[in-house]
Amino acid sequence: MSDLRPITALGAALPRLASFGALEIRENGGLALASLVLRRGTVEPTPFGLTLPGPGRCVAGQGVAAVWTGLDQWMIEAEGRAELDFAAELKQLAPGCSVTEQTDGWVAFEIVSRAGSRPLNALLSKLVNVDLADFGPGRATRTGLEHMTCFVIRRGDAHIAVLGARSSAGSLWHALETAAKRLEER
Amino acid sequence: MLIPHPLLGPRDAQEFTYLGDARLIDRPDSSAPDAEAAFCDYVFLRDNPAGVHRELWFHEQGDRSWLVVTRDTVTHEVLGAELARNVPLSRTRCGK
Repeated sequence: MSDLRPITALGAALPRLASFGALEIRENGGLALASLVLRRGTVEPTPFGLTLPGPGRCVAGQGVAAVWTGLDQWMIEAEGRAELDFAAELKQLAPGCSVTEQTDGWVAFEIVSRAGSRPLNALLSKLVNVDLADFGPGRATRTGLEHMTCFVIRRGDAHIAVLGARSSAGSLWHALETAAKRLEER
Repeated sequence: MLIPHPLLGPRDAQEFTYLGDARLIDRPDSSAPDAEAAFCDYVFLRDNPAGVHRELWFHEQGDRSWLVVTRDTVTHEVLGAELARNVPLSRTRCGK
């Protein structure tokens, strides 16, 4: 057998972590993702007890969360289950729906502020075209970040997650790092 | 330019890509006897009005929905937007 070693989206053995002033950016290598799409005539499921959110919103449960991604479609997240077959588990809980494994297509960066929402909002306002007056906890949207398509999820007042294409993980990290550094230098 | 997305509210036009005249929804019937002429018109003939125009826009960096946006091509004023899936189709679409 070959000696294969798993690497993260950024190509390292361990997820990357960096701090810039009050902001901490952490690569979340353990986040499992699967998309859930309703088929015509199917009943909306409540996987893991989650009430699927409406447009522009997200909900969180015990180690799982759901993000609205389009009409009748959601991204379901599960913390620390990237190594497991999460899509198969979700499929069991959503009979009649289309479920697709997404974990390997994305990279997730968790950005946490140690000084409340202000540094986080400053970072977001540099990076994404989102109306921050209406982007409190429970909001999530897909938008462009330096021409890369990303999900921005407001997990809490001082916590956001940015999900981007795994193939451009390095560019996305660079964009977040550069903006966070400039805020730190100010 | 902001596009008033019917589900997500005002969104930057940079998140969208533009396709063209909303009449592209009305694809001719490929089994009709005059299909060749109808498709010729469908593919090559477009009105290019100076004024109010209904257009198809794709929310690519967003929820990936197709919208029918009503826009004034002279002033760039956006007069409204609706989900393309809700636009009633007056003609039969092939394959549907």
